[in-house]
Amino acid sequence: MALRGRMVTDSLGKVRRLGKRLERGGEGEIFALQDRQDVIVKWYYPEVLKKRGDELHRKVEAMRELRDAQMTRDVCWPLIRVFDDQHRWIGFAMYRAQGVKMGFLAHALLYQRYFPGLDRSRVVGYLIRFIEIVQQLHRAGVCIGDYNLNNVFCMPSTQQVTLIDCDSYQLRVGGTFYPCPVGSPDMTPKEHQGVAFRNIVRTSQSEAFSLAIVLFKCLMLGRHPYDIVGGDDPVRNLRRGNFAYGEGGRDVPEGAWYDLWRELPEGIRDMFVTTFTSGANVPRHRATLPQWHAALTEYRQQLESGECSRRLIGPGSSKKSQVLHAR
Amino acid sequence: MATYQLNSSSDLIDNPSPRCACMLVLDTSASMFGQPMRELNAGVQAFISAIKEDDMAACSVELGVITAGGKVTEQLPFTTAMNISQCRHFTASGLTPLGSAMELALDRLEERTAAYRKAGVAYYQPWLVVISDGVPTDQWQAVSARARALAKQRKMVVMPVGVEEADLDALSAFSTRPAKRLDGLKFREFFLWLSASMSRVSASASTTEQIKLPPTDSWDSI
Repeated sequence: MALRGRMVTDSLGKVRRLGKRLERGGEGEIFALQDRQDVIVKWYYPEVLKKRGDELHRKVEAMRELRDAQMTRDVCWPLIRVFDDQHRWIGFAMYRAQGVKMGFLAHALLYQRYFPGLDRSRVVGYLIRFIEIVQQLHRAGVCIGDYNLNNVFCMPSTQQVTLIDCDSYQLRVGGTFYPCPVGSPDMTPKEHQGVAFRNIVRTSQSEAFSLAIVLFKCLMLGRHPYDIVGGDDPVRNLRRGNFAYGEGGRDVPEGAWYDLWRELPEGIRDMFVTTFTSGANVPRHRATLPQWHAALTEYRQQLESGECSRRLIGPGSSKKSQVLHAR
Repeated sequence: MATYQLNSSSDLIDNPSPRCACMLVLDTSASMFGQPMRELNAGVQAFISAIKEDDMAACSVELGVITAGGKVTEQLPFTTAMNISQCRHFTASGLTPLGSAMELALDRLEERTAAYRKAGVAYYQPWLVVISDGVPTDQWQAVSARARALAKQRKMVVMPVGVEEADLDALSAFSTRPAKRLDGLKFREFFLWLSASMSRVSASASTTEQIKLPPTDSWDSI
Protein backbone atom coordinates (compact mmCIF):
# COMPACT_ATOMS: atom_id res chain seq x y z
CA MET A 1 0.00 0.00 0.00
CA ALA A 2 1.31 3.41 -0.92
CA LEU A 3 1.92 5.62 2.08
CA ARG A 4 2.21 9.33 2.50
CA GLY A 5 5.69 10.59 2.97
CA ARG A 6 7.30 8.10 0.59
CA MET A 7 10.46 9.34 -1.02
CA VAL A 8 11.36 9.31 -4.67
CA THR A 9 14.37 10.64 -6.53
CA ASP A 10 14.68 12.36 -9.86
CA SER A 11 17.33 11.54 -12.47
CA LEU A 12 19.79 13.93 -10.80
CA GLY A 13 19.39 12.02 -7.55
CA LYS A 14 17.47 14.79 -5.85
CA VAL A 15 15.20 13.34 -3.19
CA ARG A 16 11.54 14.39 -3.17
CA ARG A 17 8.86 13.54 -0.66
CA LEU A 18 5.48 12.46 -1.98
CA GLY A 19 2.35 14.03 -0.58
CA LYS A 20 -1.24 12.89 -0.74
CA ARG A 21 -2.35 10.13 -3.09
CA LEU A 22 -4.72 11.80 -5.54
CA GLU A 23 -5.92 8.94 -7.74
CA ARG A 24 -5.73 5.18 -8.08
CA GLY A 25 -5.91 4.28 -11.73
CA GLY A 26 -5.74 1.04 -13.64
CA GLU A 27 -1.95 1.12 -14.04
CA GLY A 28 -0.69 3.16 -11.16
CA GLU A 29 -1.25 5.84 -8.57
CA ILE A 30 -0.95 9.59 -8.81
CA PHE A 31 0.70 11.45 -5.94
CA ALA A 32 1.15 15.09 -5.16
CA LEU A 33 4.67 16.28 -4.44
CA GLN A 34 4.87 17.64 -0.94
CA ASP A 35 6.76 20.82 -1.78
CA ARG A 36 5.43 21.52 -5.28
CA GLN A 37 1.67 21.89 -5.57
CA ASP A 38 1.83 22.19 -9.35
CA VAL A 39 3.68 18.89 -9.92
CA ILE A 40 2.37 15.33 -9.57
CA VAL A 41 4.00 11.92 -9.86
CA LYS A 42 2.65 8.84 -11.58
CA TRP A 43 3.92 5.72 -9.84
CA TYR A 44 3.12 2.52 -11.73
CA TYR A 45 1.98 -0.48 -9.69
CA PRO A 46 4.72 -3.06 -8.97
CA GLU A 47 2.87 -5.73 -10.98
CA VAL A 48 2.62 -3.38 -13.99
CA LEU A 49 6.33 -2.54 -13.74
CA LYS A 50 7.15 -6.22 -13.47
CA LYS A 51 5.09 -7.14 -16.49
CA ARG A 52 5.93 -4.29 -18.87
CA GLY A 53 8.09 -1.82 -17.02
CA ASP A 54 10.76 -1.79 -19.76
CA GLU A 55 8.16 -1.10 -22.45
CA LEU A 56 6.60 1.71 -20.40
CA HIS A 57 9.98 3.20 -19.61
CA ARG A 58 10.97 3.26 -23.30
CA LYS A 59 7.67 4.88 -24.27
CA VAL A 60 7.85 7.54 -21.57
CA GLU A 61 11.43 8.33 -22.59
CA ALA A 62 10.27 8.69 -26.21
CA MET A 63 7.54 11.05 -25.03
CA ARG A 64 10.05 13.16 -23.13
CA GLU A 65 12.01 13.53 -26.38
CA LEU A 66 8.92 14.91 -28.10
CA ARG A 67 7.98 17.52 -25.56
CA ASP A 68 7.85 21.16 -26.35
CA ALA A 69 6.96 24.11 -24.20
CA GLN A 70 3.46 24.51 -25.63
CA MET A 71 2.58 20.85 -25.35
CA THR A 72 3.59 20.55 -21.72
CA ARG A 73 1.23 23.37 -20.80
CA ASP A 74 -1.84 21.89 -22.47
CA VAL A 75 -1.12 18.22 -21.86
CA CYS A 76 0.18 16.61 -18.66
CA TRP A 77 3.24 15.34 -20.48
CA PRO A 78 5.96 13.24 -18.80
CA LEU A 79 8.69 15.69 -17.83
CA ILE A 80 10.96 14.12 -15.23
CA ARG A 81 11.97 10.51 -14.65
CA VAL A 82 11.22 9.24 -11.15
CA PHE A 83 13.00 6.44 -9.28
CA ASP A 84 12.37 4.65 -5.99
CA ASP A 85 14.83 4.39 -3.11
CA GLN A 86 16.49 1.43 -4.86
CA HIS A 87 17.10 3.64 -7.93
CA ARG A 88 14.60 1.65 -10.00
CA TRP A 89 12.48 3.58 -12.51
CA ILE A 90 8.91 3.71 -11.23
CA GLY A 91 7.24 6.47 -13.24
CA PHE A 92 7.41 10.13 -14.05
CA ALA A 93 6.56 13.61 -12.87
CA MET A 94 4.33 16.02 -14.77
CA TYR A 95 2.43 19.25 -14.25
CA ARG A 96 -0.88 18.94 -12.47
CA ALA A 97 -4.04 19.67 -14.48
CA GLN A 98 -6.38 22.31 -13.12
CA GLY A 99 -10.12 22.26 -13.50
CA VAL A 100 -13.03 19.84 -13.68
CA LYS A 101 -13.44 16.69 -15.74
CA MET A 102 -15.26 17.25 -19.01
CA GLY A 103 -17.54 14.35 -18.00
CA PHE A 104 -19.22 16.73 -15.53
CA LEU A 105 -19.77 19.30 -18.25
CA ALA A 106 -21.31 16.69 -20.53
CA HIS A 107 -24.03 15.77 -18.07
CA ALA A 108 -27.52 17.24 -18.04
CA LEU A 109 -27.94 16.78 -14.28
CA LEU A 110 -24.46 17.76 -13.12
CA TYR A 111 -23.13 20.56 -15.30
CA GLN A 112 -24.75 23.37 -13.32
CA ARG A 113 -23.11 22.17 -10.10
CA TYR A 114 -19.62 22.02 -11.60
CA PHE A 115 -19.88 24.77 -14.23
CA PRO A 116 -22.20 27.42 -12.78
CA GLY A 117 -23.75 29.59 -15.46
CA LEU A 118 -22.55 27.35 -18.28
CA ASP A 119 -24.00 28.28 -21.64
CA ARG A 120 -23.53 27.11 -25.22
CA SER A 121 -20.88 29.69 -25.91
CA ARG A 122 -18.67 28.36 -23.13
CA VAL A 123 -19.24 24.74 -24.14
CA VAL A 124 -18.24 25.59 -27.70
CA GLY A 125 -15.21 27.51 -26.41
CA TYR A 126 -13.95 24.44 -24.51
CA LEU A 127 -14.50 22.26 -27.56
CA ILE A 128 -12.60 24.61 -29.86
CA ARG A 129 -9.70 24.62 -27.43
CA PHE A 130 -9.86 20.81 -27.16
CA ILE A 131 -9.67 20.45 -30.95
CA GLU A 132 -6.70 22.83 -31.07
CA ILE A 133 -4.81 20.72 -28.54
CA VAL A 134 -5.57 17.51 -30.44
CA GLN A 135 -4.41 19.17 -33.68
CA GLN A 136 -1.21 20.22 -31.94
CA LEU A 137 -0.64 16.59 -30.88
CA HIS A 138 -1.38 15.35 -34.39
CA ARG A 139 1.21 17.73 -35.82
CA ALA A 140 3.74 16.07 -33.49
CA GLY A 141 2.69 12.63 -34.79
CA VAL A 142 0.74 11.80 -31.61
CA CYS A 143 -2.76 10.30 -31.56
CA ILE A 144 -4.91 10.21 -28.42
CA GLY A 145 -6.47 6.84 -29.23
CA ASP A 146 -8.28 6.39 -25.92
CA TYR A 147 -10.80 9.26 -25.97
CA ASN A 148 -12.39 9.65 -22.56
CA LEU A 149 -14.17 12.71 -21.21
CA ASN A 150 -12.69 12.07 -17.78
CA ASN A 151 -9.21 12.67 -19.20
CA VAL A 152 -10.03 16.21 -20.29
CA PHE A 153 -10.01 18.95 -17.65
CA CYS A 154 -11.80 22.26 -18.16
CA MET A 155 -11.40 25.32 -15.96
CA PRO A 156 -14.88 26.55 -15.01
CA SER A 157 -13.69 30.16 -14.69
CA THR A 158 -11.75 30.33 -17.97
CA GLN A 159 -11.65 28.55 -21.33
CA GLN A 160 -8.53 26.60 -20.33
CA VAL A 161 -8.46 22.90 -21.29
CA THR A 162 -5.82 20.37 -20.20
CA LEU A 163 -5.45 16.73 -21.17
CA ILE A 164 -4.33 14.08 -18.69
CA ASP A 165 -3.37 10.39 -18.77
CA CYS A 166 -1.26 10.86 -21.87
CA ASP A 167 1.17 7.99 -21.37
CA SER A 168 -1.32 5.83 -23.28
CA TYR A 169 -1.13 8.00 -26.43
CA GLN A 170 0.05 6.54 -29.73
CA LEU A 171 3.29 7.99 -31.02
CA ARG A 172 6.09 7.38 -33.45
CA VAL A 173 9.56 8.55 -32.48
CA GLY A 174 12.78 7.82 -34.35
CA GLY A 175 11.16 5.10 -36.45
CA THR A 176 9.72 3.30 -33.42
CA PHE A 177 5.97 2.94 -33.13
CA TYR A 178 4.36 3.04 -29.69
CA PRO A 179 0.71 1.98 -29.81
CA CYS A 180 -2.10 3.19 -27.61
CA PRO A 181 -2.83 -0.07 -25.78
CA VAL A 182 -6.14 0.99 -24.21
CA GLY A 183 -9.49 2.32 -25.30
CA SER A 184 -13.20 1.80 -25.04
CA PRO A 185 -15.45 0.30 -27.72
CA ASP A 186 -18.07 3.02 -27.11
CA MET A 187 -15.60 5.62 -28.43
CA THR A 188 -13.89 3.53 -31.12
CA PRO A 189 -14.74 3.60 -34.84
CA LYS A 190 -16.08 0.56 -36.59
CA GLU A 191 -12.87 -0.31 -38.46
CA HIS A 192 -11.10 -0.76 -35.12
CA GLN A 193 -13.84 -2.64 -33.29
CA GLY A 194 -12.96 -6.19 -32.28
CA VAL A 195 -9.20 -5.60 -32.62
CA ALA A 196 -6.96 -5.64 -29.56
CA PHE A 197 -6.23 -1.98 -28.82
CA ARG A 198 -2.48 -2.51 -28.78
CA ASN A 199 -2.66 -3.82 -32.37
CA ILE A 200 -4.52 -0.80 -33.73
CA VAL A 201 -2.81 1.93 -35.72
CA ARG A 202 -4.85 5.05 -35.06
CA THR A 203 -5.29 7.42 -37.99
CA SER A 204 -6.51 10.99 -38.43
CA GLN A 205 -9.84 9.53 -39.57
CA SER A 206 -10.23 7.23 -36.57
CA GLU A 207 -9.31 10.15 -34.33
CA ALA A 208 -11.91 12.33 -36.07
CA PHE A 209 -14.61 9.76 -35.34
CA SER A 210 -13.79 9.49 -31.62
CA LEU A 211 -13.43 13.25 -31.33
CA ALA A 212 -16.86 13.71 -32.92
CA ILE A 213 -18.34 11.53 -30.14
CA VAL A 214 -16.74 13.83 -27.54
CA LEU A 215 -18.16 16.90 -29.31
CA PHE A 216 -21.60 15.31 -29.54
CA LYS A 217 -21.64 14.31 -25.88
CA CYS A 218 -20.71 17.83 -24.76
CA LEU A 219 -23.17 19.64 -27.03
CA MET A 220 -25.88 17.12 -26.11
CA LEU A 221 -25.16 17.23 -22.35
CA GLY A 222 -24.14 13.61 -21.99
CA ARG A 223 -26.09 11.72 -24.62
CA HIS A 224 -24.03 9.25 -26.63
CA PRO A 225 -24.74 9.59 -30.37
CA TYR A 226 -25.66 5.92 -30.54
CA ASP A 227 -28.16 5.88 -27.64
CA ILE A 228 -31.30 4.78 -29.46
CA VAL A 229 -34.82 4.07 -28.20
CA GLY A 230 -35.62 0.37 -28.43
CA GLY A 231 -32.26 -0.32 -30.00
CA ASP A 232 -29.18 -2.24 -29.07
CA ASP A 233 -26.27 -1.08 -26.98
CA PRO A 234 -24.28 1.92 -28.28
CA VAL A 235 -21.48 -0.27 -29.61
CA ARG A 236 -23.79 -2.40 -31.79
CA ASN A 237 -25.53 0.74 -33.03
CA LEU A 238 -22.13 2.28 -33.78
CA ARG A 239 -21.08 -0.75 -35.83
CA ARG A 240 -24.26 -0.43 -37.89
CA GLY A 241 -24.13 3.35 -38.21
CA ASN A 242 -27.55 3.57 -36.51
CA PHE A 243 -27.65 7.24 -35.62
CA ALA A 244 -31.12 8.34 -34.52
CA TYR A 245 -30.84 12.09 -35.05
CA GLY A 246 -31.10 13.63 -38.46
CA GLU A 247 -34.15 13.82 -40.64
CA GLY A 248 -37.31 12.90 -38.71
CA GLY A 249 -35.40 12.12 -35.55
CA ARG A 250 -37.00 8.71 -35.17
CA ASP A 251 -35.79 6.66 -32.20
CA VAL A 252 -34.26 9.67 -30.44
CA PRO A 253 -34.60 9.15 -26.67
CA GLU A 254 -37.54 10.94 -25.12
CA GLY A 255 -37.03 14.27 -23.34
CA ALA A 256 -35.15 17.45 -24.16
CA TRP A 257 -32.61 15.69 -26.36
CA TYR A 258 -34.14 16.44 -29.73
CA ASP A 259 -34.58 20.08 -28.73
CA LEU A 260 -30.91 20.25 -27.83
CA TRP A 261 -30.10 18.77 -31.22
CA ARG A 262 -32.40 21.16 -33.07
CA GLU A 263 -30.69 24.13 -31.43
CA LEU A 264 -27.44 23.28 -33.21
CA PRO A 265 -26.72 25.04 -36.50
CA GLU A 266 -27.66 23.04 -39.56
CA GLY A 267 -24.05 22.79 -40.72
CA ILE A 268 -22.94 21.16 -37.48
CA ARG A 269 -25.93 18.82 -37.48
CA ASP A 270 -25.04 17.76 -41.03
CA MET A 271 -21.46 17.04 -40.00
CA PHE A 272 -22.67 14.81 -37.16
CA VAL A 273 -25.16 13.02 -39.40
CA THR A 274 -22.54 12.31 -42.05
CA THR A 275 -19.88 11.26 -39.54
CA PHE A 276 -22.19 8.94 -37.62
CA THR A 277 -24.07 7.38 -40.56
CA SER A 278 -22.05 6.94 -43.76
CA GLY A 279 -18.90 7.97 -41.90
CA ALA A 280 -19.33 5.00 -39.55
CA ASN A 281 -18.55 2.73 -42.51
CA VAL A 282 -16.48 5.01 -44.73
CA PRO A 283 -13.75 6.82 -42.76
CA ARG A 284 -13.16 9.45 -45.47
CA HIS A 285 -16.77 10.65 -45.10
CA ARG A 286 -16.08 11.83 -41.56
CA ALA A 287 -15.75 15.52 -40.79
CA THR A 288 -12.10 16.39 -40.24
CA LEU A 289 -10.64 18.28 -37.31
CA PRO A 290 -10.10 21.49 -39.34
CA GLN A 291 -13.75 21.27 -40.49
CA TRP A 292 -14.95 20.88 -36.88
CA HIS A 293 -12.76 23.75 -35.80
CA ALA A 294 -14.08 26.03 -38.52
CA ALA A 295 -17.73 25.08 -37.90
CA LEU A 296 -17.49 25.57 -34.14
CA THR A 297 -15.63 28.85 -34.52
CA GLU A 298 -18.44 30.12 -36.75
CA TYR A 299 -21.00 28.83 -34.26
CA ARG A 300 -19.27 30.67 -31.43
CA GLN A 301 -19.47 33.89 -33.44
CA GLN A 302 -23.19 33.30 -33.99
CA LEU A 303 -23.68 32.68 -30.27
CA GLU A 304 -21.77 35.79 -29.32
CA SER A 305 -23.59 37.99 -31.81
CA GLY A 306 -26.96 36.75 -30.55
CA GLU A 307 -27.79 35.06 -33.83
CA CYS A 308 -28.08 31.73 -31.97
CA SER A 309 -29.36 31.17 -28.45
CA ARG A 310 -26.69 30.63 -25.81
CA ARG A 311 -29.15 28.98 -23.44
CA LEU A 312 -28.73 25.29 -22.69
CA ILE A 313 -32.06 23.50 -22.51
CA GLY A 314 -32.15 21.50 -19.30
CA PRO A 315 -33.72 18.11 -18.71
CA GLY A 316 -37.45 17.95 -18.19
CA SER A 317 -37.91 21.27 -19.95
CA SER A 318 -39.54 19.97 -23.07
CA LYS A 319 -42.94 18.37 -22.99
CA LYS A 320 -43.36 19.19 -26.63
CA SER A 321 -40.54 16.96 -27.76
CA GLN A 322 -41.93 14.07 -25.74
CA VAL A 323 -45.07 14.24 -27.84
CA LEU A 324 -43.21 14.76 -31.09
CA HIS A 325 -40.94 11.82 -30.64
CA ALA A 326 -43.10 9.27 -28.91
CA ARG A 327 -43.09 6.15 -31.07
CA MET B 1 -37.89 3.90 8.11
CA ALA B 2 -39.22 4.01 4.58
CA THR B 3 -37.35 6.92 3.14
CA TYR B 4 -36.79 6.16 -0.49
CA GLN B 5 -37.73 8.59 -3.14
CA LEU B 6 -38.67 6.21 -5.89
CA ASN B 7 -37.70 6.64 -9.49
CA SER B 8 -39.89 9.18 -11.12
CA SER B 9 -41.16 8.40 -14.57
CA SER B 10 -38.70 10.97 -15.95
CA ASP B 11 -35.61 9.36 -14.49
CA LEU B 12 -34.75 7.36 -17.60
CA ILE B 13 -35.50 10.44 -19.71
CA ASP B 14 -33.56 13.23 -18.03
CA ASN B 15 -30.47 11.47 -16.74
CA PRO B 16 -28.07 10.61 -19.60
CA SER B 17 -25.69 8.42 -17.54
CA PRO B 18 -25.29 4.81 -18.57
CA ARG B 19 -26.76 2.76 -15.74
CA CYS B 20 -25.26 0.14 -13.51
CA ALA B 21 -28.06 -1.80 -11.84
CA CYS B 22 -26.97 -3.33 -8.55
CA MET B 23 -29.36 -5.71 -6.81
CA LEU B 24 -28.64 -6.78 -3.25
CA VAL B 25 -30.23 -10.04 -2.11
CA LEU B 26 -29.76 -10.15 1.65
CA ASP B 27 -30.32 -13.07 3.98
CA THR B 28 -32.22 -11.57 6.92
CA SER B 29 -33.22 -14.89 8.49
CA ALA B 30 -33.28 -15.42 12.26
CA SER B 31 -29.67 -16.59 12.34
CA MET B 32 -28.59 -13.06 11.37
CA PHE B 33 -30.13 -11.68 14.57
CA GLY B 34 -27.99 -9.37 16.70
CA GLN B 35 -24.55 -8.20 15.74
CA PRO B 36 -24.57 -9.60 12.16
CA MET B 37 -27.81 -7.75 11.38
CA ARG B 38 -26.51 -4.53 12.90
CA GLU B 39 -23.31 -4.77 10.88
CA LEU B 40 -25.24 -5.58 7.70
CA ASN B 41 -27.50 -2.56 8.18
CA ALA B 42 -24.51 -0.31 8.84
CA GLY B 43 -22.77 -1.71 5.77
CA VAL B 44 -25.71 -0.99 3.45
CA GLN B 45 -25.91 2.52 4.89
CA ALA B 46 -22.18 3.06 4.30
CA PHE B 47 -22.58 1.77 0.74
CA ILE B 48 -25.31 4.26 -0.10
CA SER B 49 -23.39 7.14 1.50
CA ALA B 50 -20.18 6.27 -0.36
CA ILE B 51 -21.97 6.03 -3.71
CA LYS B 52 -23.69 9.35 -3.13
CA GLU B 53 -20.34 11.03 -2.46
CA ASP B 54 -19.33 10.23 -6.05
CA ASP B 55 -21.62 12.29 -8.29
CA MET B 56 -20.93 10.24 -11.38
CA ALA B 57 -21.70 6.97 -9.57
CA ALA B 58 -24.76 8.51 -7.88
CA CYS B 59 -26.22 9.24 -11.33
CA SER B 60 -25.28 5.84 -12.68
CA VAL B 61 -25.87 3.24 -9.98
CA GLU B 62 -29.40 2.01 -9.51
CA LEU B 63 -29.82 0.09 -6.30
CA GLY B 64 -32.42 -2.56 -5.56
CA VAL B 65 -32.75 -4.53 -2.31
CA ILE B 66 -34.58 -7.79 -1.69
CA THR B 67 -34.50 -9.53 1.69
CA ALA B 68 -35.04 -13.19 2.49
CA GLY B 69 -36.04 -13.50 6.14
CA GLY B 70 -39.14 -15.63 6.75
CA LYS B 71 -40.58 -14.25 3.54
CA VAL B 72 -39.25 -12.51 0.45
CA THR B 73 -39.60 -8.73 0.58
CA GLU B 74 -38.73 -6.22 -2.08
CA GLN B 75 -37.37 -3.54 0.22
CA LEU B 76 -36.30 -1.19 -2.55
CA PRO B 77 -37.29 -1.28 -6.20
CA PHE B 78 -34.47 -0.13 -8.48
CA THR B 79 -33.75 3.50 -7.59
CA THR B 80 -30.96 5.74 -8.81
CA ALA B 81 -28.58 6.31 -5.90
CA MET B 82 -28.93 10.10 -6.17
CA ASN B 83 -32.63 9.69 -5.33
CA ILE B 84 -32.14 7.57 -2.21
CA SER B 85 -32.24 9.78 0.84
CA GLN B 86 -31.79 7.25 3.61
CA CYS B 87 -31.82 3.50 4.05
CA ARG B 88 -34.43 1.39 5.78
CA HIS B 89 -33.08 -0.88 8.54
CA PHE B 90 -33.77 -4.56 8.13
CA THR B 91 -34.67 -6.95 10.93
CA ALA B 92 -33.86 -10.65 11.23
CA SER B 93 -36.54 -13.33 11.41
CA GLY B 94 -37.63 -16.71 10.06
CA LEU B 95 -36.10 -19.09 7.54
CA THR B 96 -34.05 -18.29 4.42
CA PRO B 97 -36.13 -18.40 1.21
CA LEU B 98 -33.09 -17.44 -0.85
CA GLY B 99 -34.24 -19.33 -3.96
CA SER B 100 -37.44 -17.27 -4.24
CA ALA B 101 -35.53 -14.09 -3.44
CA MET B 102 -33.07 -14.78 -6.25
CA GLU B 103 -35.92 -15.58 -8.63
CA LEU B 104 -37.50 -12.21 -7.89
CA ALA B 105 -34.11 -10.47 -8.20
CA LEU B 106 -33.49 -11.97 -11.65
CA ASP B 107 -36.99 -11.00 -12.79
CA ARG B 108 -36.49 -7.43 -11.60
CA LEU B 109 -33.09 -7.18 -13.28
CA GLU B 110 -34.51 -8.41 -16.57
CA GLU B 111 -37.40 -5.96 -16.34
CA ARG B 112 -35.02 -3.11 -15.60
CA THR B 113 -32.64 -3.82 -18.46
CA ALA B 114 -35.66 -4.09 -20.78
CA ALA B 115 -36.72 -0.62 -19.57
CA TYR B 116 -33.23 0.73 -20.31
CA ARG B 117 -33.36 -0.61 -23.87
CA LYS B 118 -36.84 0.78 -24.41
CA ALA B 119 -35.72 4.22 -23.23
CA GLY B 120 -32.45 4.20 -25.18
CA VAL B 121 -30.38 4.26 -21.98
CA ALA B 122 -27.02 2.51 -22.19
CA TYR B 123 -26.10 0.22 -19.34
CA TYR B 124 -23.16 -1.61 -17.86
CA GLN B 125 -23.38 -5.26 -16.94
CA PRO B 126 -25.81 -5.38 -13.98
CA TRP B 127 -24.59 -6.72 -10.65
CA LEU B 128 -26.40 -9.16 -8.40
CA VAL B 129 -24.88 -9.46 -4.93
CA VAL B 130 -26.19 -12.22 -2.69
CA ILE B 131 -25.17 -12.37 0.97
CA SER B 132 -26.09 -15.26 3.26
CA ASP B 133 -24.93 -16.86 6.48
CA GLY B 134 -26.53 -20.25 5.91
CA VAL B 135 -28.20 -22.40 3.28
CA PRO B 136 -31.35 -21.64 1.28
CA THR B 137 -34.35 -23.27 2.94
CA ASP B 138 -36.47 -23.36 -0.22
CA GLN B 139 -35.98 -24.62 -3.78
CA TRP B 140 -32.93 -22.92 -5.22
CA GLN B 141 -31.34 -25.29 -7.76
CA ALA B 142 -33.34 -24.11 -10.78
CA VAL B 143 -32.82 -20.42 -10.08
CA SER B 144 -29.13 -20.99 -9.41
CA ALA B 145 -28.83 -22.49 -12.90
CA ARG B 146 -30.63 -19.45 -14.33
CA ALA B 147 -28.32 -17.02 -12.52
CA ARG B 148 -25.24 -18.99 -13.50
CA ALA B 149 -26.30 -19.05 -17.17
CA LEU B 150 -26.73 -15.26 -17.18
CA ALA B 151 -23.31 -14.84 -15.56
CA LYS B 152 -21.78 -17.19 -18.12
CA GLN B 153 -23.30 -15.17 -20.98
CA ARG B 154 -21.80 -12.07 -19.33
CA LYS B 155 -25.24 -10.54 -19.05
CA MET B 156 -24.79 -10.10 -15.32
CA VAL B 157 -22.12 -10.13 -12.63
CA VAL B 158 -23.29 -12.46 -9.84
CA MET B 159 -21.31 -12.08 -6.63
CA PRO B 160 -22.11 -14.54 -3.83
CA VAL B 161 -20.75 -13.72 -0.39
CA GLY B 162 -20.90 -16.10 2.56
CA VAL B 163 -20.97 -14.96 6.19
CA GLU B 164 -19.70 -17.09 9.07
CA GLU B 165 -21.01 -20.66 8.60
CA ALA B 166 -22.56 -20.10 5.17
CA ASP B 167 -22.67 -22.97 2.69
CA LEU B 168 -20.23 -21.63 0.10
CA ASP B 169 -20.90 -24.53 -2.28
CA ALA B 170 -24.59 -23.65 -2.50
CA LEU B 171 -23.83 -19.94 -2.92
CA SER B 172 -21.20 -20.67 -5.56
CA ALA B 173 -23.82 -22.48 -7.63
CA PHE B 174 -25.41 -19.09 -8.40
CA SER B 175 -22.38 -17.77 -10.24
CA THR B 176 -19.46 -18.58 -12.47
CA ARG B 177 -17.21 -17.09 -9.81
CA PRO B 178 -16.75 -18.92 -6.49
CA ALA B 179 -18.43 -17.45 -3.45
CA LYS B 180 -16.16 -15.46 -1.18
CA ARG B 181 -16.30 -15.70 2.57
CA LEU B 182 -16.57 -12.47 4.51
CA ASP B 183 -13.81 -12.10 7.07
CA GLY B 184 -15.75 -12.02 10.35
CA LEU B 185 -18.44 -9.39 10.11
CA LYS B 186 -16.60 -6.97 7.84
CA PHE B 187 -19.77 -5.85 6.10
CA ARG B 188 -18.64 -2.26 6.12
CA GLU B 189 -15.38 -3.13 4.37
CA PHE B 190 -17.28 -5.24 1.84
CA PHE B 191 -19.75 -2.49 1.02
CA LEU B 192 -17.00 0.11 0.72
CA TRP B 193 -15.28 -2.23 -1.75
CA LEU B 194 -18.60 -2.58 -3.59
CA SER B 195 -19.00 1.20 -3.81
CA ALA B 196 -15.41 1.56 -5.06
CA SER B 197 -16.19 -1.07 -7.70
CA MET B 198 -19.37 0.77 -8.70
CA SER B 199 -17.42 4.04 -8.93
CA ARG B 200 -14.89 2.38 -11.18
CA VAL B 201 -17.62 0.93 -13.41
CA SER B 202 -19.52 4.20 -13.68
CA ALA B 203 -16.33 6.15 -14.50
CA SER B 204 -15.63 3.83 -17.41
CA ALA B 205 -16.25 5.08 -20.92
CA SER B 206 -17.02 1.53 -21.95
CA THR B 207 -20.39 -0.11 -21.39
CA THR B 208 -19.27 -3.39 -22.93
CA GLU B 209 -15.80 -4.14 -21.56
CA GLN B 210 -14.97 -5.89 -18.28
CA ILE B 211 -13.65 -3.48 -15.66
CA LYS B 212 -10.68 -4.33 -13.47
CA LEU B 213 -12.02 -4.28 -9.92
CA PRO B 214 -10.22 -3.23 -6.73
CA PRO B 215 -8.60 -6.00 -4.64
CA THR B 216 -10.91 -7.75 -2.16
CA ASP B 217 -8.31 -8.26 0.56
CA SER B 218 -9.95 -5.73 2.90
CA TRP B 219 -12.93 -8.02 3.52
CA ASP B 220 -12.55 -11.59 2.25
CA SER B 221 -10.94 -14.54 3.98
CA ILE B 222 -9.66 -17.91 2.83
